[in-house]
Amino acid sequence: MDLIWDGVTEALRLIFSGDSYVYEVTFTSLLVSGSATVIALVIGLSIASFLAFRAPPGRTLALSAFNAGMALPPVAVGLLVSIMLWRTGPLGELHLLYSRTAIVIAQAVIATPVVAALSTAALQGLNPNLRLQVLALGASRWQAALLLFREARLSLLAAAMAGFGAAISEVGATIMVGGNIKGSTRTLTSAIVLEVQQGDFETAIALSFILLAVILSIISLFTVLQQRRPPA
Amino acid sequence: MWRRLPALGVFVASLALLAASCGGDNNELILGATTSVQDPGLLDEIVRAFEGVTDYHVKPSVGGSGEVLEKARRGELDVIMTHSPADEDKFIADGEGLDKRPVMQNFFLLAGPETDPAGVRDASSISEAFERIAGAQSIFISRGDQSGTNLRELSIWADLGITPQGQPWYQESSTGQGQNLIVASDKDAYTLVDSSTFTVFVKKVGLKALLTDTGNPNIYSVIRVASDKHKNVNAAGAIAFAEFITSRAGQCLIADFGMEEYGKSLFQPAARCPTSNVGG
Repeated sequence: MDLIWDGVTEALRLIFSGDSYVYEVTFTSLLVSGSATVIALVIGLSIASFLAFRAPPGRTLALSAFNAGMALPPVAVGLLVSIMLWRTGPLGELHLLYSRTAIVIAQAVIATPVVAALSTAALQGLNPNLRLQVLALGASRWQAALLLFREARLSLLAAAMAGFGAAISEVGATIMVGGNIKGSTRTLTSAIVLEVQQGDFETAIALSFILLAVILSIISLFTVLQQRRPPA
Repeated sequence: MWRRLPALGVFVASLALLAASCGGDNNELILGATTSVQDPGLLDEIVRAFEGVTDYHVKPSVGGSGEVLEKARRGELDVIMTHSPADEDKFIADGEGLDKRPVMQNFFLLAGPETDPAGVRDASSISEAFERIAGAQSIFISRGDQSGTNLRELSIWADLGITPQGQPWYQESSTGQGQNLIVASDKDAYTLVDSSTFTVFVKKVGLKALLTDTGNPNIYSVIRVASDKHKNVNAAGAIAFAEFITSRAGQCLIADFGMEEYGKSLFQPAARCPTSNVGG
């Protein structure tokens, strides 16, 4: 228990002393996970609108795949992505292995099914007549989609938070494709793993608390946004 | 149409973020290194020093010697630093590596509980110590990952004609050097570890260094991955690194590592460092 308390005080010390290592890994975490979440949202929402509004044949099959994708093992994704990015792999020419971009790709692959599956459910939960009504009133498909997104924003924001959560808490794929390199691809999660490997448990616990604090702050922001009452 | 603007904006922003986080350039050098060099903190210092005097951007890929050599065989690494002589010689004989140079060394030691149930302290050699452990069936934690340390350990068992795998007292942790020590400490067990990692971890574990294998040092070498066999290897970068680590600057960096914190060099450089009078 001492160790945990020491970790908390160490976390506060690291934050307030402006420790550059901690700020660096925090920034990297936010940069890569933020980018991955944005990509997951763009792709996920597109897939969700397509599946929910256009109801194509084979929708259930596609949805099964995305729902299963929510349980995709991140370390397996990391292995697959790293094999793709190896010099001897199909995308080797891009020299992306052990870079931040590689981590963004891996985290996006992990987060997209989460966003797609939850968003589809959110949009399917809307009254189908609403879309018809809006289209009948002259809205273009884009305008209708955006309006319906706003209608379903409670669930869609939950989907976005789930996607972000999947990305920022990820560590296996991050280390495999990123290489945990100081100053470029070391995130909060991979730094925690390194500290544990080096036996620096106090620092590892401190970084864990910082990570939790970061996640709490961002998710709280989103939750406030989600719960905000629309103007009457 | 203007309603689309936010979506477009988000898309452009994400592309920009992607570009900002981009990596990959021709100055990159992928260095294969082992956990026993990373865990005490030496790897970070070597990389920092090397990047300080060259334009290369080092990307270390860390694992056990076995994993590193395997990745090197696929041409995924430019230059490696391992400590598994038999595997390394095979690597070079197979035409996968060139220009093996000794970099530094330390020693393997048998760590175990203070109580020493198997009576390892009184053994006259590491071999005899292992024999006593097997005889007493005391818990022994193996790296189990084809690392340099693991292969040394396995060769000792092989020379004794003992097959510990599958026996209840023999457990394979498959973790890195430092973590393996922590696992052994938690279980009050014996394990083979290198002297540098043990020095760094001694305050964090409840184990004692019971017997050091001074007659058989653990030698780390740098090997360049064969660029004729693997077209994508950064040959110039590999040469630059091999030169650096075996130069006076590199060797003295190794000699100085650990001096301040532990009062001694954690690793002995292969060449003598004149300023600190260590190594050689």
